[in-house]
Amino acid sequence: MDVAVSVKHITKKYKLYDDKWGPIKEVVTKKPLHREFLALNDVSLDFPKGEAIGVLGTNGSGKSTLLKIITGIADPTSGTVDVNGALVFLDVSSGIDPEMSGYDNIFMKGVLLGYSKEEMMEKVDDIIEFSELGDFINQPVKNYSSGMRAKLGFAISVNVNPDILIVDEALAVGDSMFRAKCMNKMNEFKEQGKTIIFVSHDKNAVESFCSRAAWINKGELITYGDSKQVASIYNEFMSGKKKLEEIRSELEFSHSIEKVQYEVTDEGLAMTLEGYLYGRNGVQSFEFMLKDSRTGETISKEIRPIPYRGQSSLPNEVQEKAGFSLTFSEKEFPSFFKPGSYTFGVRYTQADVQSQFSLWAGNVELDGEEDARGRFIYKVRVNKNQLNMTVENADKLQQQMNKIWFKDSSLHMEGVAFVRGYEVPAPETATVQLHLINLGTFEERIYPAAVEWTDEITENPSFNPQGKNYNYSQFSAVIQLADLENGEYEYRLTYKMNSQPHHELNTLVWASKSKEYPAEPHVMGNRAAVVHTETKYLRMEIKALF
Amino acid sequence: MFDIYKEMWDRRKMIHALSLHEIKKEYAGTVLGSIWGLVTPLLRIAVYWFVFSIGNRVAEPVGGAPYTAWLAIGMVAWFLLNDGFKLSQKSFRSKRSIIKNTPFPIAILPAVQIMFSFYTHLILLVVILITLAVALQTVSVYWLQVIYYDFAAVMLLLALGSVTAPLVAISKDFGRFLDTVLIFLFWMTPILWSVENAGRFANVVKLNPFHYIVQGYRDSILYHSGFWEHPLYTLYFWVVVLVLFILGNYLFKRMKPIFLDIM
Repeated sequence: MDVAVSVKHITKKYKLYDDKWGPIKEVVTKKPLHREFLALNDVSLDFPKGEAIGVLGTNGSGKSTLLKIITGIADPTSGTVDVNGALVFLDVSSGIDPEMSGYDNIFMKGVLLGYSKEEMMEKVDDIIEFSELGDFINQPVKNYSSGMRAKLGFAISVNVNPDILIVDEALAVGDSMFRAKCMNKMNEFKEQGKTIIFVSHDKNAVESFCSRAAWINKGELITYGDSKQVASIYNEFMSGKKKLEEIRSELEFSHSIEKVQYEVTDEGLAMTLEGYLYGRNGVQSFEFMLKDSRTGETISKEIRPIPYRGQSSLPNEVQEKAGFSLTFSEKEFPSFFKPGSYTFGVRYTQADVQSQFSLWAGNVELDGEEDARGRFIYKVRVNKNQLNMTVENADKLQQQMNKIWFKDSSLHMEGVAFVRGYEVPAPETATVQLHLINLGTFEERIYPAAVEWTDEITENPSFNPQGKNYNYSQFSAVIQLADLENGEYEYRLTYKMNSQPHHELNTLVWASKSKEYPAEPHVMGNRAAVVHTETKYLRMEIKALF
Repeated sequence: MFDIYKEMWDRRKMIHALSLHEIKKEYAGTVLGSIWGLVTPLLRIAVYWFVFSIGNRVAEPVGGAPYTAWLAIGMVAWFLLNDGFKLSQKSFRSKRSIIKNTPFPIAILPAVQIMFSFYTHLILLVVILITLAVALQTVSVYWLQVIYYDFAAVMLLLALGSVTAPLVAISKDFGRFLDTVLIFLFWMTPILWSVENAGRFANVVKLNPFHYIVQGYRDSILYHSGFWEHPLYTLYFWVVVLVLFILGNYLFKRMKPIFLDIM
């Protein structure tokens, strides 16, 4: 890889004084009176030849300071910069004198950039044409609009034919036509094997235009790599989704899921993930985890390193142990999969602290079909460079808890459940179960419910316009509270169709008739049970009273 | 030890082009253009002539040369020294926007301002010389010695500019101080008065290297004496210039990282 600009261990400190006599007092008293401001802290970067490299960062992050050091406008406090080739800092306003004409300014700026008058004579026609200024070129620049000034500045900078072009958020000015023209010109540069360093706080511009990107935050280089990956990390930070510490710990690892294969058989879902994962800080063992986004329940499996044979170029020293291939199935974790949304992550322990991060899946190849053969419908998608699985019921279960009451140490429930279009003329046509899930331990208990006769649904024209038979759509269940541990519980309901199409539906219990539910805590000795339905989903809390 | 002067030499074309641009810029927007570069100094010479020979009637011929010619020649040299010194010491500050935004060999900036002053000076010099040739009805081969003194003046200015510009860039107060010093120097350099009048202070006055230039101009044009006729004074002048050169190089290297940050 040929390097156009190489920056090594650059640190830049500015001294800030509280009063204007500060520097003099400091010399006289020999006491340090300044605060140090670290604009850049040990930044090392290589800008390869023939690529467009983006530098991302918020205002005041130090990215402009880095540019100034690269261009030689500012000196670093420590560290070295190595530039191979003629470098032009595209800056639309400096070196332009408002009293002089556009034409004279072309020469003036040319001289400042180190070109002779003869060299500029060859370029001046191209510059005038590119700038679209026409006859205005002989007018003093003070008569130009700000857009025209920017056009002139840009036209000069790109037409002097530099090897390395540095663009500092200059494209914000000018109309969209001219902007497109500038972009074209820069693309032309890339094709000629020239290097463009593009500084911006706009991740979209960097993502679309650059192949690599670096992200600088508060003077520190957070990450440098594929522009899409960097832009997505930057975006996660900017949108407030992730804190810097989280991002930093994730960046200590290189990872990607590159292939996902899944199939659904009579035994449920089985999925194989392939990709690479390695740490830069000595962490060796990782645990894969699949996480229910709503409850936080996870299942995990240890990742065994295997040689990596994929498309990405990894450092040689990790090649032989960075790969992984991991299979998990519903058979192994029978009660884990239920309708909901799941994310794919990795957990590791370092210095007795457990941390986790999501696996990157921006370049994943998905292989599998959505299939209704299993209990549920499984959909695997890539959303914002992350793998995401949603599990859905094959049909929609209509259900409602009609009545809840406490009696001694048990909880009695009565509700309705039916699927539109699925007739229940007899009690055997459907099986209903209630699931009680402890939200702390995710321990699940199953309670069979009795299916009973009701005409509530069948006779209700808004539920049953077609006049179908939903006579056995009521269920009731009793839950013994005495043997439950203290904690927070949620209720789910499974509804099994015992004739065609034999779907099994699983859903959270809906409870919106708050008047029919106990409002007061139910005391059982030194414990109390409370029914919560604020979210319209049934929850229960069992707590100690004293 | 002489890095920045080597840079100036290597970039002499750039300095030349930029100083021409400075002239263009100076008079851009005016109708009369560079004629103003002539009108202003001529008017000042006229004012001094009026004050001293009409107003005060103290204008005796100096060493056999008419006071007006003596004054005009001294002033021509002084204008070069004055403008060159004033512009070069401020050169980093006045070109702040370029320094902050363009990758540029900033060490040459004092030289650009000095060459700008020099080119303006050349126009005035030619006009004055032609006027004198007509008025005094003489031309001498000694007049060519002005080339040597111009060279000496430019070298002195480069040395002074290199020393003062980095300091002014760091401290605005120092710039103010130098402006005051320059007014002081104008009256302390024997421009409006003859150095003989200083009596026993004459040698102190001569320590001022500006005097070497002003006196040299008058020697060349009016008194037809060569710089080799006072070798000690010539040696003193060049030693001063050399010391300033070394100091200027040191100060620039030392101050550049600082003033780049604080300007």
